Amino acid sequence: MIRLPRLRWSAVLLGVLAVVWLYPVAWTLANAIRPGADIYRAPWDLPWPPAIGNIGEAWNRGQLGAALANSVYVTAMTVAVILVVSVSGAYSLTRLRPPLRAVFFMVVLAPLIIPTDVLIVPIFSMFRALGLINSLPGVALFNVMANVSFATLILTGYFRTIPRDVIDAARVDGAGRIEVLLGIMVPLARPGIVAVAVLVAVFTWNDFSGSLVLIQKPDAFTVQLALTRFSTLYATDQGLTFAGMAIAILPPLLLFLVLQRSFIRGLAAGAIRR
Amino acid sequence: MAFLGRSNRESATDLLFLLPILVILAGFLFYPLVYGIVLSVHDTKGLDLTSFVGLDHYARAILGDAVFHRALVNTFLFTGAAVVLLTGVGLFLAVLVADVKRGRTFFRIVFFAPFVLASVAVGEVWKFLYAPYFGIVASVGSALGFHTLTIAPLADTSTALWAIMVAFLWRFAGFNMVVYLAAIQGLPREYYEYAVLEGAGRFEQFRRITWPLLWPHTFTLVLLTTLGTLRIFDMVWVMTAGGPSHATETVATDVYVTAFRFLQVGYAQAMAMILLFLILLLALVEYRFFERRAEMVSS
Repeated sequence: MIRLPRLRWSAVLLGVLAVVWLYPVAWTLANAIRPGADIYRAPWDLPWPPAIGNIGEAWNRGQLGAALANSVYVTAMTVAVILVVSVSGAYSLTRLRPPLRAVFFMVVLAPLIIPTDVLIVPIFSMFRALGLINSLPGVALFNVMANVSFATLILTGYFRTIPRDVIDAARVDGAGRIEVLLGIMVPLARPGIVAVAVLVAVFTWNDFSGSLVLIQKPDAFTVQLALTRFSTLYATDQGLTFAGMAIAILPPLLLFLVLQRSFIRGLAAGAIRR
Repeated sequence: MAFLGRSNRESATDLLFLLPILVILAGFLFYPLVYGIVLSVHDTKGLDLTSFVGLDHYARAILGDAVFHRALVNTFLFTGAAVVLLTGVGLFLAVLVADVKRGRTFFRIVFFAPFVLASVAVGEVWKFLYAPYFGIVASVGSALGFHTLTIAPLADTSTALWAIMVAFLWRFAGFNMVVYLAAIQGLPREYYEYAVLEGAGRFEQFRRITWPLLWPHTFTLVLLTTLGTLRIFDMVWVMTAGGPSHATETVATDVYVTAFRFLQVGYAQAMAMILLFLILLLALVEYRFFERRAEMVSS
């Protein structure tokens, strides 16, 4: 009897907080299809009729179309490389015996403590020597390096849940390592692989400091770079700026909404299992 | 002997699978780290080393660079506040969400969603929310009768850093909430049932059961927040670029400007190395502190 009002109180508070949390996103998406002038004049009205033209204009005038293509290219390449490297690495970390395993585990986890941000100057210098400035594969490489450790950490966690006997039995039956890895371990760890792919895709899509330093030519701009140029170039046209933000926000947001379970589970696994 | 040889060969083959990641780390982590140390003790022209200067850059940064001092203070203030607020808000949200009977998934999505948005987009959105006249702070405030229409939190040196903090909190609290929520749902029900029998109130239950049992997760989250916040660059860069007059300068923005605007590459890298040293030091201190607390709890 005493519990009822307390429960309702916390639910109300939670509802209010949820509205506060949702507001900036809803506001952005609404302003993206609001006629430019109304953002000042009628910021609280529903955006009706929707000014879909904002989106098209951002796409063409702001060259967001080209930037989106660049970001998709960088993201796809990063995810592909990370999956190969981290599946292979996680296999090794699962199969190695104790003394070696601990040593290499520490090595692989080092980047989690040494952030790429403090190495941005030597990395820039190195990329320039390698001719990787203004190069999309260069940006992908940067993101591979920034994400490979936690990807391997998460996958190792998933691989370790597979009973060793299952793998040993297959090996005794004459299956090769790659056969075991691709035929048994990868299918069993599929939720982990999906989680890693989605996380890496979102982090790469959202990466800013890497492309800020490595990309200078506008035709190699990623979405995030194009977006920062928006607010300076079209500062007076808020409708356009909001449309640009909406375009940049939506892909990771939709990916998250569809795959939120594996997304959150993957992150939590990475954070908790240490 | 034959068995040992075979086992070693097995291990060597297993190790081959680690080769790609080791090559990447050697090339893009350890080499830049070593080269970064070299850069930091040299004067530079463009990106080329000119003369060896020993620890001069470090001495200059630590003893005579007011902007760098400001950046250090800001970075540590911001990180300290982020650790306390993200942990507190994350836990508060988790406790609330764990308490509702229905809609847990919905709330989890709502609070976590900002995490997947790019720092550039989040920064830009909050810049607009803070804008005078039509931003939310200005318009809601004036609708309530306050003279807030011309207020611009990001343009004021006394509020700018904390205005960024609010946006930071909005973006990352959901991550802590998700970790805490999963942990809370895994706590044994019997403890709470027993506490209720003993007549413990809600707050008492939280203080005696939830908080101590969540200690390992608090440790992980504090460490992750520390490591992630000390390097903060993106959101600050997008929202204020370190301004107004260095009020939001962080070490990372200072390094970026010094290296890529003022082209003092060697000096910038010395500042970056100081940041790295402080990151490692703080991680170690936190680790030691929590380790001791964990021993006390378990004994």
